Parts: sequence; C-alpha cells; structure tokens
Amino acid sequence: MIGAGRLDATGAAYFDGDSPIGQPVGLRLSEDGQTLLIELADRVIAWQVTDVRSIDDFAGKGDSMLRMRRDPVARLFTPNPFVRRALPHLTRRAPPAGRGRLAMWAGAAVCAVFVQIAVLVPFLADQLADYIPLKGERALGDATFEQIKSALADNEYLPLQTCENAEGLAALTQMQNKLTASLELEQELRVFVLDHPMINAFALPGGYVVFFRGLIEAAQAPEEVAAVFGHEIGHVVSRDPTRHALRSAGSIGVLGLMFGDFAGGAVVLFLAERLIDAQYSQGAEAAADTFAYDVLHDAQIEPAALGDMFQRLKDEHGETEGIVAHFLSHPSLDARIQAARDASDRDTQVAPVLDAEAWAALQNICK
Amino acid sequence: MSAQIQGRYHGKGEPLFWLYIKTALLTMVKLGIYRFWAKTRIRKYIWSATSANEDSFEYTGTGLEKFLGFLVAIVILAIYLGIVQMVLFFAGLNLFMDPETASGADIVRQVAAIYITLFAVMPLLLFAQYRARRYKMARTRWRGIRFGMENAAWGYVWRAIGHYFLTLITLGILAPRASFYLEKYMTDRTWYGDARFEQDGKWTALYPAMKHLFIGAGFIIVGVALAALFEAIVAAILLSIVGYIWMIVGAVYYRVQAFNYLTAHKVLDDKIGFYSEVKTSTVIFTYIVGILIIGAVSSIAFTALFVVGFVGAFVTGMSFEASLSGSMVGAVALAIFGVVGYIAILLTLGALSLVIIVQPIIAHLVDGVQVHGAEHLDDITQRSADLGADAEGFADALDIGGAI
Repeated sequence: MIGAGRLDATGAAYFDGDSPIGQPVGLRLSEDGQTLLIELADRVIAWQVTDVRSIDDFAGKGDSMLRMRRDPVARLFTPNPFVRRALPHLTRRAPPAGRGRLAMWAGAAVCAVFVQIAVLVPFLADQLADYIPLKGERALGDATFEQIKSALADNEYLPLQTCENAEGLAALTQMQNKLTASLELEQELRVFVLDHPMINAFALPGGYVVFFRGLIEAAQAPEEVAAVFGHEIGHVVSRDPTRHALRSAGSIGVLGLMFGDFAGGAVVLFLAERLIDAQYSQGAEAAADTFAYDVLHDAQIEPAALGDMFQRLKDEHGETEGIVAHFLSHPSLDARIQAARDASDRDTQVAPVLDAEAWAALQNICK
Repeated sequence: MSAQIQGRYHGKGEPLFWLYIKTALLTMVKLGIYRFWAKTRIRKYIWSATSANEDSFEYTGTGLEKFLGFLVAIVILAIYLGIVQMVLFFAGLNLFMDPETASGADIVRQVAAIYITLFAVMPLLLFAQYRARRYKMARTRWRGIRFGMENAAWGYVWRAIGHYFLTLITLGILAPRASFYLEKYMTDRTWYGDARFEQDGKWTALYPAMKHLFIGAGFIIVGVALAALFEAIVAAILLSIVGYIWMIVGAVYYRVQAFNYLTAHKVLDDKIGFYSEVKTSTVIFTYIVGILIIGAVSSIAFTALFVVGFVGAFVTGMSFEASLSGSMVGAVALAIFGVVGYIAILLTLGALSLVIIVQPIIAHLVDGVQVHGAEHLDDITQRSADLGADAEGFADALDIGGAI
C-alpha cells in the first residue's frame, strides 16, 4: 500500500547532472506538503515544492521533466501525470539565474542598435553621399521618382503623369535659367511638375526638383514658385536628398532586419514616401534657405518672396497641411520668415521673374 | 558484451502543428520579435521528442539569448557591410544602376559590386554556421549531461574558404574532401560531457556516394557533345533535363549517404561507436508527398477563400445597396475576412510543412541511429557550462540554418 504523501514513481528517474546515469527513485511529499523528497539508493534529496518547475514544450503525453530552480543541471523524469498535481508551481515563471548579466547584455544590445540608427547610419550615409558617383546618384533618383509616381497614383497600373504643356514647360525653363544663370551646377537639374493637388515640392537624388501641381496653382506670383525652386536647388547642390535616401535605407535596413523583414517590398515604398516628406536637419533647411536668398538675389527677385510664401500659406492652410507640413513644421518657422525679410535688406535689383503671359502658361502647365 | 542503444523519435504531428500556429500568431502580434522565442519552443519540442534508450534530449536554449545574440550581430554586420559598401563606392563600383541607360561596362561593374559584397559576407556566413552549431550543442543535454563545442569558429572559416575554393576550381570533384574535412574539424571539437568525439574514416570513401551526381553530369556532357558534334538539339535537351533531375536526386543521395558514412565513423571517447541507416528513398518520398499535399491544400484553400469572398461581396452588395454606410460595413468586413483568411492559410501551410516534411525526416534520421558500446557512457561526467552570449545571432541575422 502506498503510504501517506507517497507518489507513484514507476518509470521515474533522477539525473544528478554529474553522470549520465538515470537513478531509480522513490517520490514522497513531506507531511506539510511543502517539500518533494526524492529517495535515491544512498541519499534523499529535498526539493522545495515552490521551487520545482517543469520543462515546457515537452513532447510525450503525461510525461514530465522536472527541475529545481536553484540547480541548473539536476533533472527528475516522471511518466506519472499525477505527480504534477502535487506540485502546483510547475508552470510558474522562473527567471534564470545570472539575470544581472543578461540585463546588462540586453541593455548593451539595445544601446548598440540605438547608436547604430542614431549615429552610425547617419555618419556612414553622410560619408557615402560625398563619394557616390553622379551616375549612381542619378540612377537612384530615377528609381525613386518612378516609385513616387506609382505610390501617389490612384490606380496602380497608371502611374502619376508629369505635366507636359509645352508653353508651361517653356516658362518653367525660363525661370530655371534665370535662377541658375549665376550658378555652376555639378549636375544638370531635372525639373518636373507632377499632376497632383498636393501643395508641395521636393528634391530627389540626381538633380531632380519636383513640384506638385497644387503648389503652382496655390502660388499668387511667379516669385513665390521661384523662391521654393531656389530652396530645392539648395538641397540638390548640398546633396541632401542623397544623404537622406542613404540614411533612410540604412535605418530601414536595420529595422527590417530586427523585425524579420516581414515588410519585404513595403520598404521601398516607405522609402519613397519618406523622401517626399523629407525632414532634413534644421541646419540643412537653413542652408537651403540661405542658398535660396542668394539665388533669388542674383535672379533679381526679392528674397522675402520665400518668407511671403511661408507666411501666406501658413495663414491660409494652418500649420499642418500640405506645404506647411513640408516647409513649416520646424519650430524655427518665424525665424525663417524673419531671415527671409532680413535677407531682403540688401539692394536687390527687382525685376519680374516671368511676364504675365509666361506666368499664366506656368499655372496651366497641367492642362 | 557491447550494449546497444537505439535512437527513437516519438514526436506527434498534432501538438507540433498547434505549437507552430500558436507561436507564429504570437510572432505576428509582437511584430516579428517573438520569432526567436518561437524557434526556441519548437526546438524544445523536437529535442524532447528525440530519445535514446528512452531518455529524451533537452534543449536548454532561450529565446532571450537568441534575441540578444541577434542584436549584437546586426550591429557588427551593419558596420562591416557599411565599410564594404564605402570601399566599393570609393572604387567606383555601386549597386544602383538604371538597366535601361547603363552601358555594358556599367553592368559588369554592377555585377562585380554584387559579387564582391556577397564574397565579403562569405566569411561571416561560415562563422555563423559554426557558431550556430556550437550554440545548439552547448544547449543540448542528454541524461543531464551537456554537449559542447570548442570556440574555434575562425579556424573553420579559413579552412572552409580553402576547401570550397578547391571544390570550385576542380568543378566539384573534390567536394567529398571538403565535406569530410569540414565535418571532421567540427566533430573533433565536439564534446559530450568530458568525452570528445572524433571523426574517423577517409575522405575518398565518400566517392561512392557521389555516383548519381556523376551519372547526372554524364548525361549533360553527352547531351552537350551531341549538340556540338551532330546538332541533335532535341536529344541534347532531353538528355540535359534527365541529367539535371538526376543530379538533384543525386545531391540528396550524396547528403544522405555522406551522413550515414560520417556518422558510422564517429567515435566518442575512443570506445563508443555509432551507426546510421538513413534511406535516400524515404527522404525523397517524404519530401515529394509533402510538397504535393501542401500544393493541393494551398490551391483548394485559396480557391475557397476567393469564392467565399466573391459571394460575400455579391451578397453584401445586394443587401446593403440602399445605404452607403451599410456597404462600407460590408466592405470592411470583407476586407477583414480576406486578410484573416489569407494569414490563416499561410500559417497552416507553414505548420503543415513542419509537420509533414521536416518532422518525419527528422524522425527517420533519429530512428536510424544506433549507439554501440553504450556501457562506456556511464563513465562520462559533466562539463562546465558554455555561457557564450552571442548565441547564434549571426546565423539569425544572415538567415541561415534552415528549418530547425
């Protein structure tokens, strides 16, 4: 007859963790039910019931492999499912020993990933942007431009069209020539207008400057378009888009690795979206503004046009819409408007950038 | 009198199927991070279902270890790859190229850049291979005693590059030499408790296992010769197809026979021997039947999903036609149904391939292994724990290591 607290130990075996020999055991619970007594041939081992755990995801119905929290190697195998009932703590969590070491590693690893995204990737991207050959940059821009055109289209089979009205294009070229007359550009500009109502403009690697139809229609005067134009040329000249593309690709690559790359093809799309709404660093924006003032000054346009454009669009659209989101989301907005006005203090010989006829043609470039 | 132990696999399809589904769902909910824990749990199941002399194996790895190792690995990988790319840019090679406007020389440069990048990753891939095996060994126990491997991954990297280079320039003739010596390098550094494994045998003994590869290659050579000498194009194409398929089967045959030979010539502690009788036909049959079943299930399931979705769209379209908001509710419900159905099907297919292909092949492998001289096992004692913190991070980051 099985005595008080005695458990059926048929087929059970104890492995002490020192030698690969399964020892037959007797199993008994102490009178207070708090201790599991493992009776070996030559000694009795006592496991606190609160410390006994079972190995999870164990194959074999009814079988259990038990361990004791404070002993990393000893194991007790039992094929008797009733033993489990006497041990209510089997599936409690049991943090492994050496938690401090693990926590240290976890902290270090998370920091390393953070440093990588915040410091290393931007650093590498900045270095790369200076070394990437113009041809490669252009190919990157071509690919991204195509991506953007399909990403913004309503119909996936019909990418967004560029506006091709001949007179409008002529007016745009006229404006471009005026702005770039005093510049020596490393790479040829490629200027496009996309048939889309968004009030926005952006630059891409490889000399791309792209306006949306919405921006040209919203502008009150050709000088305002010219001001935005100058700003984007500033980004092109300092290669901000290339830097940004490499940075995003690097960060997304690291994040994609982390999350198992389950996003797959979505990465490219995401990259394209990020470029349209590219938030360059404040320094890069300020540099592009300063660049624009000079360009405008040389093209006989009041640099304040840039500030006027900001101010009016801010008044009309609030802080969060279209161009506002693009140009004006920086806290230094008022400073930028002020800077544009200050830049106008020098004696700029003012001449209209486009005549009324050309301006009308530009506004109708998508018709 | 030599005691003999028989390997036995007693895992079942059903619990493993649901374990896969459960962990895969958790992986989706936790944005992919849980995949380290998921793989660990599946390994725990498979290890514990593997037994020798009724004592099952135990996998003591943890998901956290794998996750940390992975974080460390991606930091190193990113720095390394970043530097490689910078050097390439510096040399005028880069990966961005518009195929429509690129000249021939551009394309050659781009292909060169891709191969240099791949080649630069090669040492890390080999490093990862060794480290992954070492991690698995260090986290495997039988009868409470740990397995383990020495910290010798870089030695493996240089040897493997040398062996693979030799294999490449001899058009695969020296492949058995590579597989033998690389396996020997790893086996000779593997321990069970305080006992060391050793790889005996000769590399030339692997040549019989290559026979079907040679026959397949022979078909292709004859085919090419026919085309060149007699312009017998149809015969040449037929022979090449036969040769190609023959070589695929031959590759499986080689791996299986090499495994049998290498296992049979492993010795533990100078006294304990092994024997393996894996059958190529069983492996290939399991694989083909599995692929056919999964293919059939997936086409039926996707067709059913499409039909139900189509009928659903029709019905909701009819009944909710009157109100716009009503049809919106219908459309949203349909979209949710479609996404959930799609995910459910993908998960089921993944679980099926684990349960009807991977697990049966593992079972066949384990059931075919015997241990001789098992009475000497009792003399072995425990080894100290291998606390390597990087787990198999590189293998995870570079996505090698296959199913398990």
